[in-house]
Amino acid sequence: MMPASGCEHFHRFKTTGDNLDTLKWIYLVFVVGSVSHLRQMKFCNSFCHTCRNRGPHLHACLECVFFGCHRHIRDHNDDAGHSFSIELYYGQVHCASCGDYIYDTDLDDIALKNRMQAKKFHKRLFECISWDPSEEERQLLTNQTKKVCVTPETTIGLRGLINLGNTCFMNCVVQAIMHTPLLRDYFLTKHHYCKSAQMACLVCQISELFQQFYNGEKTPLALPDLLHLTWTQATHLCGHKQHDAHEFFMATLNLLHKHYSENTQNQNKTVHHNNTGNCLCIIHQIFTGGLQSDVICQSCNGISSTTDPTWDFALDLGSVTEGGRSPCSLLDCLESFTKAEHLGGKEQIMCEICGSKQDSTKQLTIKTLPVVVTFQLKRFNSSAGVKISTAISFPEMIDMTPFMSKRKDELPVPSDNRYSLFAVINHSGVSAIQGHYVAFVRHHYTYWYKCNDDIITPVTLKDVLASEGYILFYHKQVLAYE
Amino acid sequence: MSQEYDSRVNMHLDINNGLDRVIELVHTRLVESGWRDQVRLACRQLLTESGSSNISSVDELISTVTPKARSMVPDAVKRELLHEIEMILLNLEKAGYVKGFEDS
Repeated sequence: MMPASGCEHFHRFKTTGDNLDTLKWIYLVFVVGSVSHLRQMKFCNSFCHTCRNRGPHLHACLECVFFGCHRHIRDHNDDAGHSFSIELYYGQVHCASCGDYIYDTDLDDIALKNRMQAKKFHKRLFECISWDPSEEERQLLTNQTKKVCVTPETTIGLRGLINLGNTCFMNCVVQAIMHTPLLRDYFLTKHHYCKSAQMACLVCQISELFQQFYNGEKTPLALPDLLHLTWTQATHLCGHKQHDAHEFFMATLNLLHKHYSENTQNQNKTVHHNNTGNCLCIIHQIFTGGLQSDVICQSCNGISSTTDPTWDFALDLGSVTEGGRSPCSLLDCLESFTKAEHLGGKEQIMCEICGSKQDSTKQLTIKTLPVVVTFQLKRFNSSAGVKISTAISFPEMIDMTPFMSKRKDELPVPSDNRYSLFAVINHSGVSAIQGHYVAFVRHHYTYWYKCNDDIITPVTLKDVLASEGYILFYHKQVLAYE
Repeated sequence: MSQEYDSRVNMHLDINNGLDRVIELVHTRLVESGWRDQVRLACRQLLTESGSSNISSVDELISTVTPKARSMVPDAVKRELLHEIEMILLNLEKAGYVKGFEDS
């Protein structure tokens, strides 16, 4: 740790007389406040000498007996010419000559000693400090032989998946799901109580799969049960043909939601609101976002907005952006996705205000963002069976703020809409009918692995970003509270 | 009179560490509700937007952020705080001063 030396003023102050002792005493009595017979004193004196309030930010002058709230301690600094004051809640020392709070190793020592001796544990006093283990503690730690050391080379959580005959579409999606941070945390911490038979519930299977993935073993897994369940429950994915990974992903989310609601419904009635989009199941909590569609009538300027829940954002690659060129990056795609679109001629829409069909513009914006955003780049033209292999660049970090709906009730603090990439599913092959799926997953923060069925190889972030992405998975960086 | 009243209220709050407990409680609630993270975000935003030229000290940052931060305190937290303080004052009004200081 770097030794922090405060300003020159404080250096002079602490070497003069018994100033440091005074500081210690004030810290002990007023900041920590654990000397019982002096508690009453703390209490009777903890108010601003000017306005008699108990705050905000009560300070004590270190050069005379004066207490003041934030405003009046500064007045006192100016009037009396006293430089140093200490904030009485966290114990920060302020230097008026510098005009700011200061950091000093001696101060930290005093603070740490006092905190440790406090009879009662004060959470506030321990929040801002880092733990610097002592020699004894280090010794204890080295004597503990059983440790799990997570290094960049750790492979816990990486397992290959055996291809059961054109099941790469399933394998790559499973890899992405297994590496979704929030899903992993959920499934590894929450026990799933299930009434149905193990084989029939997808939540049970995924739950079990998480255990398999993170138990430290390395042999590749085969997932016949999962495949069987998919075949019986999502019949459009049945058979040994090649299937679309995105369809499988959507079917998985659907089934997870369905089985979760069915099997927990009776225990907890509040779980089930699936039609309103407020479902409490983990899938809806993580993946549901809202798309707002505004239709503006060109003749009366009336706006009709609707919001629809969505699990993913399917982005067109064929459309042309404003500059007249095809999109070549994820941001381009999102821009054209949220661009106002003119609806005229045959596409005229019935305007409720005008009462007739009118030219109008339609614009999609993102009303609410899910925790995990998935972008499907529409590389397959289902009718023609042609694949668009245009290179679309995508960033490791994306700020979704520009694509959000404008809100009327502006929040006092704008929300943080930054997302980081954690998985990419790629399709190789020239047509939509044939090819192979491969998944890239982020294992540690900057360590990426390529999961090609049962073969897992480390790759660099550059490789990932240069790949021909098909489904992109982004995770919210800062999780908000609700 | 008002001063006498003040000191009685103070006495009330001090017995059994009432005030300390309430402060700690509010602190915990503000962290739990995400208020602290929001304020942190607001501070960061302010600093990046205005640069260090406009906000040069902690004091300035505090005075800029405080009104916003206050407005963001969740109503539930305010209600709970009010309720807690009421409980402390009522209980002591009933019980008088018999309890005394817990660790004296």
